[in-house]
Amino acid sequence: MTARERASRRRLRFCLAVVVGVFGIFAVRLFQIQGLDASAYAAKAVEAGTNTSTVPAPRGQILDRNGVALAASVDGLTLTADPTMTAANAPQIARLLVEELGDKIDYFETIDKLRTANSHFVYLKRDVPAWTATKTLTAIKDAGYTGVFSEKESLRTYPGGKLAANLLGYTNATGKGVSGIEQQYNDVLTGTDGSSTFELSPTGQRIPMADSTVTEMVPGRDVTTTIDRDLQWYADQRLVDAVRDSSSDWGLAITMDVKTCQIVQMSQAPTFNADAGTGMNDFNTVSRAVSNVYEPGSVLKTVTMAALADQGKIAADSPIVVPSGVTIDKFKIGDYWDHGVLHLTAAGVIAKSSNLGTLVAAQKMSDETMHRYLRKFGFGEKSGVGLPGESRGILADPSKWTKSNHATISFGQGIAVTATQMMRAVGAIANDGKICNPSVVSGIVDEDGKKKSVETPAAHRVVSKKAAASVTRMMEAVTAPDGTAPAAAIKGYRVAGKTGTAWRVDPVTGRYIRGQNVVSFMGFAPADNPRFLTYIVLDRPYSSAGGGSTAAPVFHDVMSMALERFGVAPTGSKSPKVPQTW
Amino acid sequence: MSAQPAFAPSRRETTTTTPRSDAVERGLRLVRPVRSRASKAPFVVVVMVMLSIGLVGLIIMSTVLQAQSFEAAKLDREAAALEIQQQSLTREVETLLSPASVAQRALIFGMVPNTNPAFLRLSDGKVLGKPEPAASGSNIRSVAR
Repeated sequence: MTARERASRRRLRFCLAVVVGVFGIFAVRLFQIQGLDASAYAAKAVEAGTNTSTVPAPRGQILDRNGVALAASVDGLTLTADPTMTAANAPQIARLLVEELGDKIDYFETIDKLRTANSHFVYLKRDVPAWTATKTLTAIKDAGYTGVFSEKESLRTYPGGKLAANLLGYTNATGKGVSGIEQQYNDVLTGTDGSSTFELSPTGQRIPMADSTVTEMVPGRDVTTTIDRDLQWYADQRLVDAVRDSSSDWGLAITMDVKTCQIVQMSQAPTFNADAGTGMNDFNTVSRAVSNVYEPGSVLKTVTMAALADQGKIAADSPIVVPSGVTIDKFKIGDYWDHGVLHLTAAGVIAKSSNLGTLVAAQKMSDETMHRYLRKFGFGEKSGVGLPGESRGILADPSKWTKSNHATISFGQGIAVTATQMMRAVGAIANDGKICNPSVVSGIVDEDGKKKSVETPAAHRVVSKKAAASVTRMMEAVTAPDGTAPAAAIKGYRVAGKTGTAWRVDPVTGRYIRGQNVVSFMGFAPADNPRFLTYIVLDRPYSSAGGGSTAAPVFHDVMSMALERFGVAPTGSKSPKVPQTW
Repeated sequence: MSAQPAFAPSRRETTTTTPRSDAVERGLRLVRPVRSRASKAPFVVVVMVMLSIGLVGLIIMSTVLQAQSFEAAKLDREAAALEIQQQSLTREVETLLSPASVAQRALIFGMVPNTNPAFLRLSDGKVLGKPEPAASGSNIRSVAR
């Protein structure tokens, strides 16, 4: 072997060693990838190549009785920013945001957010309707700025703004109902989010015919309420005017169909606007119709009279000797006007709203009997309207009643109620003595558009038909020209009603506050064939305001509108003349 | 495959002698083995054409699918934008149709909500209730939103 051959052989061996070495490294790496870390790499590849997105399920709508949306869901966006990208142009971007979003966003606060130090993510504004957010993002992009992004979400809107706000309630930032029907029917309204997973090319394009998984979302179901939107709006407006004119702290106006116990309108003032996000404080958002407890005053005299009439102890023309004043347990009781001994009929006692006449009549029944009737009329228990935060009111056990308790409860002091409890009780008098639970929801609309009715307990009798008719005659005297509320009379119709002016209780001390009242008016029409019951409550109006002068005109307008909208024509019959004195 | 039978007799010819003498005796003579003249070219061409068609088809299909994927993405974006526009318009219509909006315009025209319900019975033309013109400025004076 020559030296040249030897050199050549060495070179060959060296090359072979290099090639074997390189392939050896490849083999080791291959073993590592395929053998040892296979699953981790496979997962990484899948993650890089697939995209999973959530398909948000829209929340169901809340509809009025005619199918008009009172609350609906639309596409919304949350605007976010990366401050490392926006800090340099913060004032310019903030100006564009304010130009597009108006007073929904604060200029200086936004600049601070856009300049947040050591952060890559800040929320600029949540719950922006998609059309506004898209316009805003386009404006920022067109101006050449970067760093503002958006996240998809489902946004709750209330097309009527303040309309029936306390009844509908509102949702929190996570889309969960936290008040009113939104809370009570949250499970029905909430749908199930879907998801969609598909493979993407490195450029972000969806790969055709590649594996994809789609889980269909299930939209929330719609809730149909018993509310008539137009009547609700009118009552809202009328109540706002009344609260302002009487300088009241707050007011309520509720109308119920006495045949079905469906509430067709439930207004509260002041209220809030969940759509615009204004007035969202506890004073405005609380649902006073179910959670505010107050002493009803003279409206409760109708229940006392119904209890007596049911026992056959009183009729509209029964004579009652009304004393000039009474002192029970050192507690002086009088009427709102000074008088000597009066000879009033039961109708006269109701028409003139005499406390003394009522307590004299109420002496004909024991504490236990009176308590039993109050329980039968639904006091001391929830009204069953099915709204969150409902109170039971306060009705003490008769064993704890003093003599003065029996007297004052008969005319509505010393007992605390909610407005829906009062509606339920007087509704029984209007409904021939049969009581039923007020309702605000009539049905749930399924995905296929079929409406499933919400079952409500059947009405049951609490007093006889004759007793109810007798109290109705007494209540008709209230709206007569010589009654306490002629302003509640509707021309052409027979209207039965009762005024209420009750002392306000200081919630801190539990004592009455002199000069501060809760005034109210409860009435139904047509009195000879009742269809609607309307209740107006005004809290702490100016000191001289009474139920007849302040609440009755609101009752007149709201009841008239209800009769007109539902086509309830007057029957044409005349109110029987019942003597008020004897 | 087609050439196989042609060679078979020739193989017998080289290995056997006895049959030849038998054949001669019977007046038979050996014929030249049939040479296959079928050219391989058409077969190759057919295969090539089929492969080409398949390949081109695959490319076309892939291109079309890609194009459709782009188109689908574009249409998806358009659909989303249109849905947003529809929601915006629906909301605008709802706002205009809302009682507050209608009442505001009605008040501007001097109209007043009537709180004196009265009905006309079509069967006999009788007026039920006591109709009265609504007084200007009565009940709702302004619209609060």
